[in-house]
Amino acid sequence: MIAQLTKSERQLALIILLAFTICGLAMAIAGRQDPLGVHGAIVMLAGIAGIFGVIYVYYEPEPDEGRLALYYDDPTKVAIILAMIWAVIGMFIGDWVAWQLVFPNLTFDAGWSSFGRIRPAHTSAVIFGFGGNGLIGTSLYVLQRTSRARLPDQISPWFVLLGYNLFCLLAATGYFMGVTQSKEYAEPEWYADLLLEIVWIVYFVIYMRTLARRKEPHIYVANWYYMAFILVVAILHTVNNLAMPVSFGHAKSYSAFSGVQDAMTQWWYGHNAVAFFLTSGFLGMMYYYLPVRAGRPIYSYRMSIISFWGITFMYMWVGSHHLHYTALPQWVQTLGMTFSLMLLIPSWGSAGNALLTLNGAWHKVRDDATLRFMMVAAVFYGLTTFEGSFMAIRSVNSLSHYTDWTVGHVHAGALGWVAMITFGSIYASVPWLWKRERMYSPALVEWHFWLAVAGLFTYVFAMWNSGIIQGLMWRTYNSSGTLSYSFIETVIAMKPYYVARAVGGFFFFAGAVIGLYNIVMTIRTAGQPADERAADRPVAQPTGVPALQPGE
Amino acid sequence: MFGLHYKLERKTMSLAIGIIIAASIGGLIEIVPLFTIHQTVEDSPDMRVYTPLEIAGRNIYIREGCYACHSQMIRTLRDEVERYGPYSLAVESKYDHPMLWGSKRTGPDIARLGGKYSDEWHVKHLTNPRDVVPESVMPPYAYLTRAKARIDDLGLHLAALRKVGVPYTDEMIANASNDAYGQTTPDTPFAEGVTKRYGEATNVRAFDGQPGEPTEMDALVAYLQILGKLTDAAHKAKTAAAGE
Amino acid sequence: MAVEERDPVSGYLTTGHEWNGIKELNTPVPRTVVFLLWATFLYSVVYWILMPAWPLGVTYTKGLLGIDQRNTVAEQIKDAASDRTKWSKLIDTESFEAIQADPKLMKIVRQTGATLFGDNCAACHGRTAEGGNGFPTLVSQAFLWGGTPDAIAETIRVGINSPHKDSRTSQMPAFGRDGMLKREQIDDVVDYVRSLSNPAVAKAIAPAKLASGKAVFTDNCVACHGENATGNIELGAPNLRDNFWIYSGGAQSVFTTVWGGRQGHMPSWDSRLSALDRKILALYLVNLRAAGP
Ligand code: HEC
Ligand code: HEC
Ligand code: HEC
Ligand code: HEM
Ligand code: HEM
Ligand SMILES: [Ca+2]
Ligand SMILES: [Ca+2]
Ligand SMILES: [Cu+2]
Repeated sequence: MIAQLTKSERQLALIILLAFTICGLAMAIAGRQDPLGVHGAIVMLAGIAGIFGVIYVYYEPEPDEGRLALYYDDPTKVAIILAMIWAVIGMFIGDWVAWQLVFPNLTFDAGWSSFGRIRPAHTSAVIFGFGGNGLIGTSLYVLQRTSRARLPDQISPWFVLLGYNLFCLLAATGYFMGVTQSKEYAEPEWYADLLLEIVWIVYFVIYMRTLARRKEPHIYVANWYYMAFILVVAILHTVNNLAMPVSFGHAKSYSAFSGVQDAMTQWWYGHNAVAFFLTSGFLGMMYYYLPVRAGRPIYSYRMSIISFWGITFMYMWVGSHHLHYTALPQWVQTLGMTFSLMLLIPSWGSAGNALLTLNGAWHKVRDDATLRFMMVAAVFYGLTTFEGSFMAIRSVNSLSHYTDWTVGHVHAGALGWVAMITFGSIYASVPWLWKRERMYSPALVEWHFWLAVAGLFTYVFAMWNSGIIQGLMWRTYNSSGTLSYSFIETVIAMKPYYVARAVGGFFFFAGAVIGLYNIVMTIRTAGQPADERAADRPVAQPTGVPALQPGE
Repeated sequence: MFGLHYKLERKTMSLAIGIIIAASIGGLIEIVPLFTIHQTVEDSPDMRVYTPLEIAGRNIYIREGCYACHSQMIRTLRDEVERYGPYSLAVESKYDHPMLWGSKRTGPDIARLGGKYSDEWHVKHLTNPRDVVPESVMPPYAYLTRAKARIDDLGLHLAALRKVGVPYTDEMIANASNDAYGQTTPDTPFAEGVTKRYGEATNVRAFDGQPGEPTEMDALVAYLQILGKLTDAAHKAKTAAAGE
Repeated sequence: MAVEERDPVSGYLTTGHEWNGIKELNTPVPRTVVFLLWATFLYSVVYWILMPAWPLGVTYTKGLLGIDQRNTVAEQIKDAASDRTKWSKLIDTESFEAIQADPKLMKIVRQTGATLFGDNCAACHGRTAEGGNGFPTLVSQAFLWGGTPDAIAETIRVGINSPHKDSRTSQMPAFGRDGMLKREQIDDVVDYVRSLSNPAVAKAIAPAKLASGKAVFTDNCVACHGENATGNIELGAPNLRDNFWIYSGGAQSVFTTVWGGRQGHMPSWDSRLSALDRKILALYLVNLRAAGP
């Protein structure tokens, strides 16, 4: 794959890798008494490994000009494999986290493996490792196809992909060492945050440059969402991670904000990490793969518009629903609650748009597990957003907040929506990318689907039960008008549900393992391009029809 | 709306700017006023800053991810106030960079934990929670007793905190490491420095039962014992609201 | 309209664009969606008018209803407390004996006490109040500071070796560490003390050793633990003749006690629990003990 780079690109790669190596070395030296030093070493080793990789092919012949007439899909291929690897790692840790609440001594008397450290490793591995790689991979694929333009260069996508995965690696290894800012979904420390900042800017530049070169007059709706995802995550990331490092030799930093302002900034970020990472980005994915796989037009262009702007505008107001009844002033809670309710309509607009697109293709849903993944995703997207808006109502939140109900909601979204749409999209694109007729084993795709569905339902029902029971027990009063249950009684009551959740989580994890295996086997089996998509090219197809005006 | 959008979706830059504008409004309107509206954070003259040892303990609390299971935010709900004590005020986390309000209660809220249990209990509990609470699902943290706390760089920590707005004095910063040592070694000149700088009410004890070089257990227990005790404001607010 | 293409399934027109095979229908936004958008918006407007909602520089709109979550909860708590006065007043004012004689009040004590105990005391004394290593059982007859409801209520209020100004204080000296006794003397007195409650130990130990242990005990321990080693509730010194141990009765543990001393710490609940709650807890414990073994 590196041989695809031109001479000058290979040189540029070496310079960038050298810069990483030097940064790593500097961190390793400055932080030799601190976990920062370990991270310096990791960065340095990553740089050196990259340098060796490039030198290895440095003198190989340059690629021919013919490549420019094709889409550049190498980064997408790597991203998809990385996404699946992170999925397996992240879900394994997730299930381990789940079992720890059943057998709390599953830490083996060590610090790195305790609940509080592996839990963020789980969330980051699945959200950033699995979800993020899935988004980067598919966004580059979709961007080129819907713009009919090749990526502007061959270095920046690699910089984004590999730099991003280095960030994920720093995040995950950091938690095991206890490096964390404790801000949920923004836990990595300042230097990893800086790396992500740079990566993200380059990602955005790729997007703008490719769109600028597009041969379609209109930007497709998938790209609106991908762009919102990139832009808003950049804003959120920058503001919420403002912090003062203890020194350049310390991994530790102190958040620029404190107390109530910090809480609001964090949940403005935290909610919109959900909104623009876990929702907007994946809607972009859905708007491409679902209609293509179903072979149906998008149900309503106008609904796409309403939903898109509704989501982009309203989501940013609702973070305060994570802080109902707290020391956050009530006026902010009011805004968070009311906007959450209004937000339901554009959210359902998207879910409805997806499901109605399937009209005329329901027989395919029945027969094709890949499309079924996407269908379930759209259903759970609708369900989760409904649940979210419901939980954002203050009185409901007074019950659900702090309980497993939130965790159930999270995984209805994470498993039902995020993971399902990603698996569906990956199963759709793997044969196209590697020019195979189909997946190695369609039966295994079925297996994956049913394991995922079984795991999803077990997990979510267990958590709805435990969450509501726990919330109710906390506030139950006896006939004397005093509290009925002590806290520890509620812990005891959770046991069976924690077992069920861990079992369900195992099903879901097993499905992901099967998926990875199936993908690897698909790649390893040689095949003929059977699907005409495998041969699609940046040049506009001679359809004979010029750009059309919409029927306004 | 459709017309405007129809224009935007053909110009990359305009679409990007449109997204930025639409997405910025909510955050600006909700976050900026939190700095300008005075009532947001209550006044509390008796509020004290964390000692260096408590900061070290707080950092261990963050490192271990205790916030994943414990909230430090008692909501304005009857059952929470009756179970945990007066609801939390904004001022109580005024010096918390970052705040640790939490979002999940696998374990109980600990905003008012300070003084509720003895040091010995905390040490036993953290070493193996099931020794004292057989039904607990909390992880064991036995290694904290074995690990010496890193206190040599606490001056840098306090200095960084001052840069983000915590009113540490030069003297506090200069003496940070000594004060951390002093807080675990009562009846020494080091200990006097702690009470001089942070107030008579500061806990000065061998938190883990072993005087001398503070361990990570010392630091963490020192932090746990100060939770809810930096200011009296919440108790005062409660009596004021009850009209007593 | 240049070209009109109609979707055969839905019958709607497409917008005329195509991206890599994807087309879009120009279906109008369904009425329901528009209606719901307005409905949720209007609901929000009403809510904003009634409740605190919009920031205005240095203040915010307070809402017509004048509701504030802090006042609301304060009122709810006050109302709940006044609902409870039908029994709480009685418990507050009546004597312990009178309350104990009233089954209705005792039912309330049991209900309320169980949760209070579970949330505050069980961490140390166990969910069943049977104690644990280092924390005494509260359901035995062996009380350090006396088992009357008054004594218990006072212990709860001030704590033992706590920072409270009236705290009960007690200290088992460190005979070994502070060099008051020699190693053999300690070994002997440990055996002797253990023999007091454990016949098996009494049989296993050589009588000479027991005698010397007894001598050490008489010289050093009776001041606190009493002539018969049955303890002293003035000093919080435990009875060593019964089968209840704070720190377990094993040889190693008793040795540690005599060698290094003990100073158990029971927190004061004066500022944390109300007088009523503390009274309920004292009654709850007395009741638990009466019901228990
Ligand atoms: C897996 C979740 C989990 C993690 C992580 C966790 N705890 Fe806990 N914690 C619990 C549970 C459950 C309880 C209630 C049972 C008990 O007392 O052990 C508890 C109880 C406590 C209590 C007693 C609170 C009270 O008022 O009774 C303290 C103090 C405490 N934890 C501190 C910590 C600290 C400090 C850490 C991190 C070093 C931590 N916990 C990490 C679950 C957790
Ligand atoms: C931090 C641990 C801890 C907590 C929490 C605690 N206790 Fe104790 N308690 C002790 C210890 C230790 C002793 C014995 C002190 C000693 O060894 O001298 C004790 C002693 C007592 C005694 C005296 C027993 C006697 O024999 O005279 C009573 C009564 C008591 N506790 C009741 C309670 C009640 C009621 C609560 C809850 C409101 C409570 N305790 C909470 C640790 C605790
Ligand atoms: C100054 C008073 C005092 C003297 C003298 C004293 N004790 Fe104690 N002893 C106590 C007190 C008070 C406790 C309870 C300690 C606690 O839990 O806080 C205690 C506890 C004990 C216990 C632990 C009981 C249990 O339930 O685990 C043993 C055993 C014991 N003493 C033995 C001795 C022996 C043997 C001597 C003499 C060598 C002795 N004591 C001298 C005050 C004294
Ligand atoms: C209209 C859409 C949605 C709304 C209004 C919404 C609302 C909420 C609410 C009210 C909470 C609980 C906050 C608390 O009490 O702590 C929550 C938590 C959460 N939601 Fe949603 N939700 C929506 C959609 C989604 C989707 C699609 C996902 C996708 C995965 C998601 C992921 C999460 C996560 C991860 C949390 C946990 C945050 C934490 O760590 O506490 N949400 N959401
Ligand atoms: C095998 C599948 C999975 C299992 C077994 C699993 C398990 C868990 C467990 C046990 C927790 C901690 C809950 C608690 O504190 O009580 C958790 C939290 C979380 N997981 Fe998963 N998980 C899985 C998959 C996923 C996926 C695929 C995603 C996202 C794409 C995800 C996102 C999250 C998030 C965001 C949280 C934090 C929730 C919060 O803070 O409220 N999980 N998961
Ligand atoms: Ca961060
Ligand atoms: Ca959370
Ligand atoms: Cu949210």
